[in-house]
This record gives sequence, C-alpha cells and structure tokens, in this order.
Amino acid sequence: MIRLVVPITALALTAGAGAADLRALVAAASPGDIIRVPAGVHPGTVVIDKPLTLLAEPGAIIDAGGAGDAVRVTAPNVTIRGFTIRNTGDSLDRENAGVNATGAPGAVIEHNVFTDVLFGVYLRESPGSAVRFNVIGGKALDLARRGDGVRLWQSDDCLIERNTIHDGRDAVMWFSDRTRIVANTVTRGRYGLHFMYSDDNVLEDNTLSHNSVGAFLMYSKNLTLRRNRFVSNRGPSGFGVGLKDVDGLLAEDNLFAANRVGVQVDNSPSAVDVRHLYRRNVFAYNDQGVALMPSVRRNDFTGNAFVDNAEQVAVLGGGDLSDNRFTVAGRGNFWSDYAGFDRDADGIGDLPYRADSLFESLLARDSRLRLFLYSPVQQAVEAAARVAPVVRPRPLLTDDAPLMSPPRLPGVVLARGPAPAVSAVAAGAGLLALGLGIFGAMLPVPERRLREAAT
Amino acid sequence: MTAMRRQAEPVRRDDAWPVSPRLLTTLALKELRDALSNKWVLLFTIAFAALALGLAALARASAGMTGFAGFGRTAASLVNLVLLLTPLMALSVGATCIVTERERGMLGYLLAQPVSRTEVFLAKYIGLALAMTAAVAVGFGVSAIAMSGAGDGALFLRLAALSALLAWAMLAVGVLVSVVLRRTGSAVGVAVFIWLTLALLADVGIIGAALTTRLRTVTIFSLTLVNPLQAFKMASLAGFGAGLDVLGPAGVWATTEFGRRLPILLYASLLAWIVLPLLAAWVAFRRRPL
Repeated sequence: MIRLVVPITALALTAGAGAADLRALVAAASPGDIIRVPAGVHPGTVVIDKPLTLLAEPGAIIDAGGAGDAVRVTAPNVTIRGFTIRNTGDSLDRENAGVNATGAPGAVIEHNVFTDVLFGVYLRESPGSAVRFNVIGGKALDLARRGDGVRLWQSDDCLIERNTIHDGRDAVMWFSDRTRIVANTVTRGRYGLHFMYSDDNVLEDNTLSHNSVGAFLMYSKNLTLRRNRFVSNRGPSGFGVGLKDVDGLLAEDNLFAANRVGVQVDNSPSAVDVRHLYRRNVFAYNDQGVALMPSVRRNDFTGNAFVDNAEQVAVLGGGDLSDNRFTVAGRGNFWSDYAGFDRDADGIGDLPYRADSLFESLLARDSRLRLFLYSPVQQAVEAAARVAPVVRPRPLLTDDAPLMSPPRLPGVVLARGPAPAVSAVAAGAGLLALGLGIFGAMLPVPERRLREAAT
Repeated sequence: MTAMRRQAEPVRRDDAWPVSPRLLTTLALKELRDALSNKWVLLFTIAFAALALGLAALARASAGMTGFAGFGRTAASLVNLVLLLTPLMALSVGATCIVTERERGMLGYLLAQPVSRTEVFLAKYIGLALAMTAAVAVGFGVSAIAMSGAGDGALFLRLAALSALLAWAMLAVGVLVSVVLRRTGSAVGVAVFIWLTLALLADVGIIGAALTTRLRTVTIFSLTLVNPLQAFKMASLAGFGAGLDVLGPAGVWATTEFGRRLPILLYASLLAWIVLPLLAAWVAFRRRPL
C-alpha cells in the first residue's frame, strides 16, 4: 500500500524567526516530529536520518550552494513538503540531487519546487514512496550532461503523480515494479519517461511533449498506457513511445500527435505467447504513425484512429506485417485516407482498407527518398500505380473492417499550438494590400495623367 | 527647355550603360499594365487563391476531428500547391513575353525609340516579376486570412517571400526561352516541358537512379538541391522549425552536414536560378538581330 497520509504527532517544532539553519532543527528533533521550517535560505546538504515531517512555511528555501545534494534522506517515513530546493552540484558521477533518498521507504516528496538541480528526486531502495505535485526544472546543460528529473532505483510500489518535469534528462525507473505514474507533464527532456527492467507499471493521463522521445519502455513486462498524450517528440529518435523488448502491453485511449514516429516497436512482444493490444488510440500528424521493425509480430490494433500521418503504418527496412492484426473481432481502425463507403450505415466501411502506397514501398526500400516527400512526384508515383496496377506493391496491411469515424478521446483538449490569429490576419492583410496595390498599378492610366506626365 | 534638349539628343546607342532609372520605371509600369491584359496572370491569381481557400477549409475540417490543428501539414500542402502552380505560370508568362512581341513586330517598334535594349529587357523582367509578386501575394493573403485560426503570420510571410523567389527564378528561365526561340508556339512548348522536367521528371530520375544504383546520399541531396523547386520546398520546410528532419535520413544528413549554412545553400540555389538564366537571356537579347 502506498503511504500518502502524513502522520500527526503531538509535538510540532517551530523555529523562531531567523533561527539557525534547518540542519540544527533536524539535529534537535526526535523521530516522528513535525518540523515547520521558517522562510529563508537554508544551506544544504541537509541530512535527514530519522523519520521526520518537514513542512515549509512559504519562502523556505534549501540551497545546496552549487555542490553536492540539497537534501539527503536515510531514514524511513520522511515527508518533505512545500520547499524550494535549488542549486545542487552538477557532478554526474556523484549523482547530485535535490532530494537523494537512499534506503528510505515511505518517503513523501510533495509540493516542492526544484530549480537548477542536476537530479530532481532520486529514490534508491526506497519502496512505497510518493513523489507528487512537484515542479522539477533541470540545469541548463547539454542533454548529455543533465541528470534525471526523477530516478527510481530498486524502489517498488511508488507513486509519481502530478509532477511537472522540464529540461531534465529522463524520468527513469530502474528495477522498480508496480510504479504508478499519473498525470505528470514532462517536457524538453531526453526520454520523458524511461523504464528499464521495471514490471507491472501503469502510466495514466501523462503529457509528454517536446522531448527527444516521449516514453521509452525497455526490457519491462506488463505495462499499461492509458489516456496519455505524446505530442511533438522529435529528437534524434523522436518516438512518442518506443518499445524495446517489452512483454505485455495494453495501450488505450492515448494520443500520439506530431511526433517523428508515434509508436516505434522493436521486438515487442518478444515472447511467443504474448500479444499486445492497442485500442482507441489516436495517431495523428506523425511522420510515421506506427513503425515496426521487420520481425515484429503479435500486435493487435483495433478502434484506433490513424489521421494524416505521412506514413500511417511503416515497416522499417521493408518486409510485411504478418501476424500483426488490424482487425480484431470484426472491428478495425479509422484511417483518414480510407476511400470506401458504408452503405448499411453500421459504422464499418464496406470495402477493406488496404495500405498499398507505391511511394511508401519505395521509401521502405530506400528511406533517403523521404527527401521527395511533399512534392508533386509523390502524387505522381501514386497516380502511376493506380493507372498501371502492375507496379502496385503487395498491400502492407489490410483492415477488413475499417471504421467510418474516429474514436473519441476522453478529455483530450490539445492546445492549438502557436496560433496568434492576429498575426496571421495582419500578414494576410499586408500581403493582400501589396498584391492588390501592384495590380492597381497595372490599371490603365487615364489619358489625361499620361499627358501630364509627359510634359 | 529640358524637353527640347532631350529631343535634340542623338538616338541612344544600344549598349548604352548605365540605364536610366526613369525610363526603366516607365517601361516596367507599361509591362505591368500589359500583364493585366494577360489573362494568365489573372487566372493564376484566382486559381491559386481558390485552391488555397479549399486547403484552408480542409485543414479546418481535420482540425475539428481531433482538436489538433495540423498547421505544419496544411502549410506543407500549400507548398505542394505552390510547387505546381507558380512555376507553370511564371514559365508560361516568361516564355511568351518577348517572342510574341517580336512576332508581332512590337519589339522592333519599341526598340526604334530612344531606349536601349538593356532597358527594355530589364523593364520587361521587372514588370513581370512585379506582376508575379502581386499574384503570389494575393493568393497567400487570402489563404492567410482564411487559415488565421491555425496560422502564424511570420510563417505565411516567409512562405510568400519564398514563393515570390521561386516565381522570379522560373520567370527568368521563361524569359531565356522567349529570347532564344523564334516562335511563340515552340516557346510555350519548351516552357511546359521545362516545367514538367523540374516538377516531375527530374525527381523520378533521381528516385529511379537511387533505387537501382545505390547513389550516395551526398549525390542524392546535391541533385535535389540543384532543382529550384526542391530547393524552394526544402527552404520552406526548414522554416517550420524542425530543420529538414521531416525529410528523413537525407534531410537529417543535410542538416548535420551543413548546419546553419543549409538555408544559405538553399537560397543560393534559388538565386542562381534567377541570376544565371537572366544573364544568359540578357546576353542573347543584346546580340540577336530582331
């Protein structure tokens, strides 16, 4: 069970105004005490070696002074709430962190603001902990020299909830099972979420945008992805979700939009008796909606929407999609490029959807030809395949029961991106004025004015 | 008094240099007025604006579907539209401009006036380039207003400017055709063939070669860069913020290989397509007998 409630003890210590630093308060406290920490800058590293509850008064700051950790926790059942924690060292070897908890089960780190920290919250062998409602901002370093916003190491049964993590490296779970990751926002990092050898984890309602990769799930079992939004993850790999040797996956009601690749699947599932299910997800405006390695098998897609991806489904390096199903129990997916009809109005198209784009099959043979995307030659190649079916490739996939309308995603309201309507109207009006002005100059000049100009 | 003196001047020699700005302006404005009577320009403007409006409507419909406005995608379709229409119109207008007047004897009449060939040539190009600019500006103006829900003004201005560059380049090629060839019919034919080559055949050739002979990436990219239509496309895509990464491995290669110099390279290709054909056309126009 995850411990969320702060135990109340009889004694509450409150330091006097401008009192000595937090380290003295901790040293004076008995296990189980609640300490109200006054406003002011408290120098770190603060070591908490007994079960304590630290409640920050507004304006309480823990400052590591640019070296080492800000807070180190070595006892169980410690709660740290409401601080601004800042200015850790930047040593990746020593893994300098805002809160570094080692052997501290039941830690609760909540409502804190971390700024200029290498690692944010680092939980080592601290099962049953909670990291909630924090804002964690990393150091302004190269991606390679940053630390992780949140890192779990052998800490099972943790809750990571409603944090905002930005400009870090990853939020990463190492060897940590049954983690619940709920309603977090991770932006401008390397891998928004990163699982390594962590089983039975649940990701719900998270927003992962503008990272190199939204969530990279590796060597883990039984994962659930539900109602997450993976948007504009376009780094060097640029996946909304990357799967590597994952066994056991349910992905439902997620949005994958404007990523380089919506979901990239490598050897997942790897076990022959496991099938993965993707249902009611929306893959929209990605360069590739779903990209599978040639040997990938046993993935089922039903009730998803594939909307205007440059390639809806791609097999990297060519090959077919045998034993990956796009129709499950008589229900297929919605395809924005489906050209069929639904005469009996049962919501399912009467003709199968076939992905047999000649241009895409050329792309699969030589991916460098993507250079010719968005130019007329693309449509010309498709038209040629339509006119001369002999050059038509074998269909990459067939959906026998394509849906006529896309699934509704509960609660997905996306920002429209940078949409300064005023500037567009102004630009349009300016251009119109310029164009019409020139056209106006073309109008025949009255005879009288010509004569005047001549004299 | 001044008018008297000017009349007393000898007829200007053909290779007179520098050109008179005043004369150039007058002639260019005359060319602009003539362009209005050229139904091609008007037709193109209307067609471009109508198609851009259609695109805007489509973009709105699909934005409503998922609540996600794919402006980059709409802009990309707009690029595609520009790629087909702008060169076609610039080439055909350019290709007819001199050869028609020569056939009708109007050119001889004009050159009998105290104007140099250089002035007539430059005025023709500038006047027509202004007309193209107007057509592009109206087209983009209409679509910018129509797409204002999802658009970014700076992006539209950039696209419009790039399209104007492309139009000027294709106009220069058209003028070259017009200077070199003797008959309007053949000039139009050659112009359409050039359009087809740049829009389709060149790319089909590169794709075919890449698939059959495993061309090196640098070769594929260079051959593509030389095509002004592809240079335009890459320059406008690079403006959408993501570099050329949307164009796959070859685009990523170019982005990492050239870095900040990539836009310069793309613009240089477009500028070369304006300057070189124009220079060749100018030389030919001055040398050729009427």
